[in-house]
Amino acid sequence: MNSESSLADHAFDVIGEQAAFLTASAGAGAIATFTGIARATALDGVAVDALHLDNHPRMTLASLEAIAAAARTRFEIGRLRIVHRCGRVAAGEAIVFVAAAAAHRRAALEAVDYMMDRLKTDAVFWKREDGAGGSNWIEPTAADREARARWGADHGRN
Amino acid sequence: MQIGFFGSIGDRLGRDIVHRPPPQTATVADLRRSLAAAFPQEEAVLTGSRLKAVIGDSVVGDDASVAGIDRVEFFPPVSGG
Repeated sequence: MNSESSLADHAFDVIGEQAAFLTASAGAGAIATFTGIARATALDGVAVDALHLDNHPRMTLASLEAIAAAARTRFEIGRLRIVHRCGRVAAGEAIVFVAAAAAHRRAALEAVDYMMDRLKTDAVFWKREDGAGGSNWIEPTAADREARARWGADHGRN
Repeated sequence: MQIGFFGSIGDRLGRDIVHRPPPQTATVADLRRSLAAAFPQEEAVLTGSRLKAVIGDSVVGDDASVAGIDRVEFFPPVSGG
């Protein structure tokens, strides 16, 4: 099994993930990684203490696996890794880690870009921003949807 | 019947509740109406097309049968990660 997706309900070790992926990808010519960090401000500038990522006990992980599988059919890639937080994520903590290994850089970079665009719109999460001013459930932004649309609708929503 | 709510409506109504729909409840549409009667403040959401019904980890339409089903879940639009 080259593709592996995980949900993490607590802070995870990004450097450890990178190191493990590098070690397991011996022979690859290119490795691309992306780490997303929970921001301390909402799009409207309101302070955010934490995100709460509500998730489904099976369908959330299945949606991550489906996105990884779609990337595999689309790009010439070897190993993949998606780690996504669920539950409470404090501002400043890593919320997502994505990695792809390939023979050449373009496939690795594009696979990570693709998986992030899909994760931002299609992953089965419900995201709430919690701050001193209250809580706010949020949906993908127009920019997120445009980024998702760049890749076409060939793999559908999950 | 167990009802699972996620996201915003889960905050408002509870994430896992027990609901006893009337015996003539046959479809998801019937169940939505029964839930709307129990939670009239959420009628628009519960009967609206943005709230997806899920049975056995699959999104189902309003004509899906709930006969013999012990758990139905309702998904507001997902946010992505």
